[in-house]
Amino acid sequence: MTDVLHRLLRTPQGVLGLALLLVLVLACLLGGALAPYSPETMDFAGRFAPPGTKHWFGADQLGRDVLSRLLIGARSTIPLAVAATFSGAAVGACIGTLSAYLGGRWDEAITRTIDAVMAIPHLLLALILVSTLGKGSTNAALAIAISVAPSMARVTRSVALAVRQQDYVKAAIARGEGGGWIVLREMLPNVAAPVIIEATIRVAFAVMLFATLSFLGLGAQPPASEWGLMVSEARRFMHQAPWIIVAPALAIAATAICFNLLGDGLRDALNPRDER
Amino acid sequence: MSPVLAVRDYSLDYITRGGTQRVLQDVTLSIDSGEVLGLVGESGSGKTSLAWAIMRHLPGNAREAPGGSLRLGDTDLRAASNKALETIRGRRMSMVFQDPSTALNPTLSIGRQVSEVLVRHRGLSEKEAWRAATEALEHVDLRDPAGLMKRYPHEASGGEKQRVVIATAFACRPELIVFDEPTTALDVITGARILELFGRLRTETGVAALYISHDLALVARVADRVAILEKGRIVEEAPADRIFSTPAHEYTRRLVAAVPRPGHRLVADQAQPQELLRAEGIAVRYQRKRLFHAAPPPATDHVSLDVRRGEILGIVGESGSGKSSIARALTGIADYEGGITLDGKAIGSARAMNRAYRKAVQIVFQHPDSSLNPRQTVADILARPLRLYGGDVATIPALLEEVRLPASFAARYPHQLSGGEKQRVAIARAFAAKPELVICDEITAPLDVSVQASVVELLLRLREANGTAYLFITHDLNLVQQVAHRIVVMRQGEIVDLLDMAMLRRGEIHSYTRELIAASPTPVG
Amino acid sequence: MTFAWLLRRFFTVLYTLLVVSILVFGLTQILPADAAVTLLGENATPDALAAVRLRLGLGDPAWLQYWHWLSGLLQGDFGTSMRTSQPVGPAMFTALGRSLMLGAASLILMLVIAVPLGIWAALHRGKAADVVSGLVSCLGVSLPEFVTATLLLIVVADRFQLLPATGYVAPSEDLTDSVRHLIMPVVTVSLIMIAHVSRMVRSEAIDVLNSDYIRAARLKGLPPRIVLWRHVLRNALLPTITIVALDVGYLLGGIIVVEEIFAIPGIGRALIVAITSRDLPSIQAGAVIMAATYAITNTLADIAYVLIDRRIRYD
Repeated sequence: MTDVLHRLLRTPQGVLGLALLLVLVLACLLGGALAPYSPETMDFAGRFAPPGTKHWFGADQLGRDVLSRLLIGARSTIPLAVAATFSGAAVGACIGTLSAYLGGRWDEAITRTIDAVMAIPHLLLALILVSTLGKGSTNAALAIAISVAPSMARVTRSVALAVRQQDYVKAAIARGEGGGWIVLREMLPNVAAPVIIEATIRVAFAVMLFATLSFLGLGAQPPASEWGLMVSEARRFMHQAPWIIVAPALAIAATAICFNLLGDGLRDALNPRDER
Repeated sequence: MSPVLAVRDYSLDYITRGGTQRVLQDVTLSIDSGEVLGLVGESGSGKTSLAWAIMRHLPGNAREAPGGSLRLGDTDLRAASNKALETIRGRRMSMVFQDPSTALNPTLSIGRQVSEVLVRHRGLSEKEAWRAATEALEHVDLRDPAGLMKRYPHEASGGEKQRVVIATAFACRPELIVFDEPTTALDVITGARILELFGRLRTETGVAALYISHDLALVARVADRVAILEKGRIVEEAPADRIFSTPAHEYTRRLVAAVPRPGHRLVADQAQPQELLRAEGIAVRYQRKRLFHAAPPPATDHVSLDVRRGEILGIVGESGSGKSSIARALTGIADYEGGITLDGKAIGSARAMNRAYRKAVQIVFQHPDSSLNPRQTVADILARPLRLYGGDVATIPALLEEVRLPASFAARYPHQLSGGEKQRVAIARAFAAKPELVICDEITAPLDVSVQASVVELLLRLREANGTAYLFITHDLNLVQQVAHRIVVMRQGEIVDLLDMAMLRRGEIHSYTRELIAASPTPVG
Repeated sequence: MTFAWLLRRFFTVLYTLLVVSILVFGLTQILPADAAVTLLGENATPDALAAVRLRLGLGDPAWLQYWHWLSGLLQGDFGTSMRTSQPVGPAMFTALGRSLMLGAASLILMLVIAVPLGIWAALHRGKAADVVSGLVSCLGVSLPEFVTATLLLIVVADRFQLLPATGYVAPSEDLTDSVRHLIMPVVTVSLIMIAHVSRMVRSEAIDVLNSDYIRAARLKGLPPRIVLWRHVLRNALLPTITIVALDVGYLLGGIIVVEEIFAIPGIGRALIVAITSRDLPSIQAGAVIMAATYAITNTLADIAYVLIDRRIRYD
């Protein structure tokens, strides 16, 4: 684990990604403590205050401090997206590995069905799911998990297929090892790395999708300070106070960038051959 | 008259993350018109880097030391500008590459790729160039040259593609051609034909050639003089007919000693008469029979063979002969039709192979890079068969010592080992089960010749200690004649010949076997 | 490319549409809301509600309802909207036409920018220009469409008043005005794709540049211009077809958001309206149409690929 960390820090993407991640994690964990104001504190006199010493990122249409809302909002935006991605990735990875291991007609049937599900744009699938299950953050997260699973299954399958061809898997078959052993002990450790990298990059996408759902009114609900919701609410006031929109927009972008960079950095760090 | 190629005191470094690596040190050689200089070196010797240096196509992290010179005739190659080099390459010097399937652009027709050199350097029009290119293809003994011109690389065989590459290299009548292991990626017989072609063309054109290879026996037959490259230095240079008989430098002597000589037998004893394993009518199919299609031909067509206790049975053949498929069938990796009997007990199918069978029959694979799980340590890799087959995990250090590896390697990961070391671990893994038969599937093919010799020596030593039998699969006929008691010759899924060494000496062999032997270059002198 | 191959692709598309329709149907069936109430309102009489339920077949088991819908679809009847009581098909297809225009324009813009950008970055790999373009691409894939759209609206429409903010004008009415309304939506949709595709093209081009056959071409003394145009481009552009085809999925998703923000009456907007008003037939029709667009685009890409690349044999 520490070894991975070291190697991650050797790449510029890894350093930047980890630095951003640190900021985000701090915001999630300590946001409440760090925020100068409570996110609900309204100050009608100070509405639309531009960024200054009193409000570092300005104040919104109800006089709430934008920075505080951002910090608190991290907790509403990020953890659910991460959880949704990794649970969707886990399910997808199992399906993908299974399909690769089974091979033959089963593999073909599963792959074609996955391809068919992927013909529905992610956003549309999420929208339909949320409209069926009801609005709210948890349902949005569930919808995201379900839409992430098929593409992760595809990626996992192609990695697993490549691993399956390797001679060390054939050596295990020659030893008479059972299917379970081969998948868990021989294949999975070699499949895990690329899948983790792919999943990390998908988190960026999940954060964006989650924010989009909130923006459309189907994800987090007011008065939550989820960043997508903040952008949506601020749309009406963009003439007067663009900072109300720009701040959460940049926060979303920064989060997505963070996970994209981490994924790139992990690509090098998790590669066992790249020692020298 | 000045030599066509003159390299003087040339040194080259690569800048890597680990520091500066000196790849070539004070290399001096020269080639006159009409002469072939062979350059022999193992992996890491720098021979390919010298080729790139001459062609002026070094990677970005290469640094040439000041003072060395590279001259093509009267031209100083190091001082030549990029534009000047564009007129020199292809016209005055050209190159033939190792792997013809990657040296040709898959999205352009063969004709285009040959004629574009003629358009570029001989100023011909497209039409004239196409005609000249067709003639060039005919000149390298390609059938239906006009048709081949219109086809794409994937529609031609390996041998045909290499002839195309050679035709392109010769097309503008260069002064010098650099050959980088042109037959390594080809089958033995195909390679021999290419060498014949090379011999003919060089006598016809009088071109100077630098022939690079790791195969000393082959180079000695093809070149006039041979230079031996060890870790970037030329340690010896001598006429080809003397390099084997009187090697001067110590490294050369080691190389010469490592080259398999069919007359030099390494195994003195006879095999025991009892049968250990018998395979009857083995057919391995890789493709399913599809609706409305005829059944595809099997990789091995009802092959039968037997291995006696303690015997070394060699299986030779070219690619596609089915020799690896036999190995897969016998170890249950591939499904097969037919019957296997081990020690008198019949095994019905891959599923029926029980623990006793799997313990008795082990396999070592060809590619050391993919046969060890990169996420397991050497100790993990060796512990598993020990646990499965009733060994003791504490014997891992002893096991490593048997394969001449330090006990500290147990904690290492495969990527921390060299190719030869990985292969030793694979052998240790096979012997951890205390097997009665070990299948060696082309295990020496990817190794340097000196590493190969030490691996063979290891195998023979292990056999003496344990009485193990080997099924030794290889394409190297010289090597198999050194170690096998009996030899099976396969072609396109069938057994063509089954002989023991006595029959071989008497010449009672199939014509295909004769062809194979003739195509395998043996040391001169 | 054989007839058998084409036939198989055709059946794959059919299977895709079948799975999509079942999935969407199944998902929307979880809806607790009573469609009859939605249609007639809260104060309708029980008899009227019963009559509507009978007419719409709402009491039937799910698979029967699906079967009715499917057989209707095969005859070209997409059902009747619960919201407007108009046939769904014509409205959806008109909307689709507008979205296709938006999508096609975005694709073209994307190809024109992303492909040269990717190749140029590959040729200058490691140098400042490449690093900068890499950072810009990273930013590009990290901005959700609604962020880009909103920022564009603030700067272009609001601050500098260069373009109209929202709305749609049909090209047949007024071409210039139509284009003015479409500029920002097209840019928004294509931004993510430009960033993504240019990185993929760059990666492919680098692989090609490092290949043995490009080295062989250089060592034949061919000038760099010919190496690039005759040898590199063909091999780098071929995989681009596949990449772009896969990105059509993101394109369609982006269209949904962009049509909502810029008030363009395309199929994305129609779907959002359908979803928020729980108009089941419209949801189903819209989803199937979108999936069909994706599947057909992919098939066209496969055909183009096979026609261009002689290596692939689909027998």
